[in-house]
Amino acid sequence: MRVVVDLARCQSYGQCVFAAPEVFELTGPEVLEYDSAPSDHLREQAERARAACPVQAITIGPAAGPTRDATAAPPRSAAIDTVGGQR
Amino acid sequence: MSDHIPTTARSLVDLAASTPQQDLFARVLDQRSRPNPYPLYAALRRQPVSRQADGTWVVSGYDEIAALLHDPRISSDMRNAGQESAPGAEKSFILRDPPSHDRLRGAVMARFTPAVVESLRADVRRITGELLDAAGSQGRIDLVDEVAYPLPVSVICKLLGIPPEDEARFHVWADTLARSLDRDPDMTQEEADQIQHAADALADYLTQFTAERAKNPGEDLISGLLTGGAHTEPLRGDELVVTTRLLLIAGHETTVNLITNGMLTLLRHPDILTRFRREPALVVPMVEELVRYEPSVQFRYRATLDDIDVGGTTIPGGSAVVLLLAAGSRDPHHFDQPEQFIPDRTPNEHFGFGGGIHYCVGAPLARLEAHVVLPELVRRLENPRLAEDPPPYRPTAALRGPRHLWLNVDRVRP
Repeated sequence: MRVVVDLARCQSYGQCVFAAPEVFELTGPEVLEYDSAPSDHLREQAERARAACPVQAITIGPAAGPTRDATAAPPRSAAIDTVGGQR
Repeated sequence: MSDHIPTTARSLVDLAASTPQQDLFARVLDQRSRPNPYPLYAALRRQPVSRQADGTWVVSGYDEIAALLHDPRISSDMRNAGQESAPGAEKSFILRDPPSHDRLRGAVMARFTPAVVESLRADVRRITGELLDAAGSQGRIDLVDEVAYPLPVSVICKLLGIPPEDEARFHVWADTLARSLDRDPDMTQEEADQIQHAADALADYLTQFTAERAKNPGEDLISGLLTGGAHTEPLRGDELVVTTRLLLIAGHETTVNLITNGMLTLLRHPDILTRFRREPALVVPMVEELVRYEPSVQFRYRATLDDIDVGGTTIPGGSAVVLLLAAGSRDPHHFDQPEQFIPDRTPNEHFGFGGGIHYCVGAPLARLEAHVVLPELVRRLENPRLAEDPPPYRPTAALRGPRHLWLNVDRVRP
């Protein structure tokens, strides 16, 4: 499974962290850390996060192959990204 | 159209069409509109930013609401529109702006962590099971009184550390205080007095309760707020009381309506109910669609701190503004088939939990509760039918939901 967060959309609402704590973590007020290639047993969590995201920034795809969203960030394992605040 | 339309809907559509734009929001507040306000919202969206006869501005378009939710010239403190704060609601962070909003909300968020929310999952399962067991022998159940109301109340009390024997006392207080959110100009003096009385009684209880917790802290959220955290100051006195009151009321009314509206919507869409029985994981996207299609919070008030241009209209500074979230979530400019309930709608960027800095604090807990309870209701209630449609509604327009939802069932499965 591959998880991609469109960091241009992300506003640090943090809903993914509640929905899928083993995939997403906010390590600072506007710093999202996430596992872009989580194990398949975390699929239910990841799907919850995708649905809950208030700005619909999360895409879930198969482990290999192109992502559906060509503008999204490339997959990185446990990538640490600084993202924009919501205001 | 697979949508069930109650008999009153047709006349409501006609009523909305013949009501002058500036009188539409008064119709929304009218108790008779409670079963189906959506034709009024569609009529309001013809002018996404419209001034009402009393000077209030109603914003009903998706883009216009989104712009204002993120505009720093928008205030949640209604004194900026020349209005006194609603009784019993003063000073909680939902009615504040930065920086004090951020400080108080931050104190709660530091304690309302993913681990804390997840730890409640087992309680939600257990309480849901117990409530359905208790409803077990009857062929007719009131989903509100027997399941949808007691579950979130028990969960929020568990979270706050309030003893179960005190839960019943909140029932009346929370119901009464919710009505103050409407800011209805036609509210009677008697209603206003009841609201003040409930606010005082709840404040007295919480003052005593938090003082006791300060002496004997536990593992609960109130004790956590009293202690503070690595990056947050402890909360004390009035600030702690009003913050706790906000969590209690928010935790009472909204999830009740989410569960009840969920079951009502499923029973109005038998094809989707059948699919959901086969496919319980559908609940995850379906809960998002529920809070888009039948949101517990229909609108919130704001005040403008300056003249604001939005949607080609200028709202003058010092105005009261209604952000009609439920209308934005059905805006055809943003959603395909917005009046249809599509349980796996993707994407679904709704206003069901608001947006911007006031985004619902309790959203993760509401989702958890709905994810557990809705599949359990569908699994255990055999052949559920609505006893009346539309059901009777609570008076509050801002927090909209049925007062009762009577279901006839063949039996409650073990």
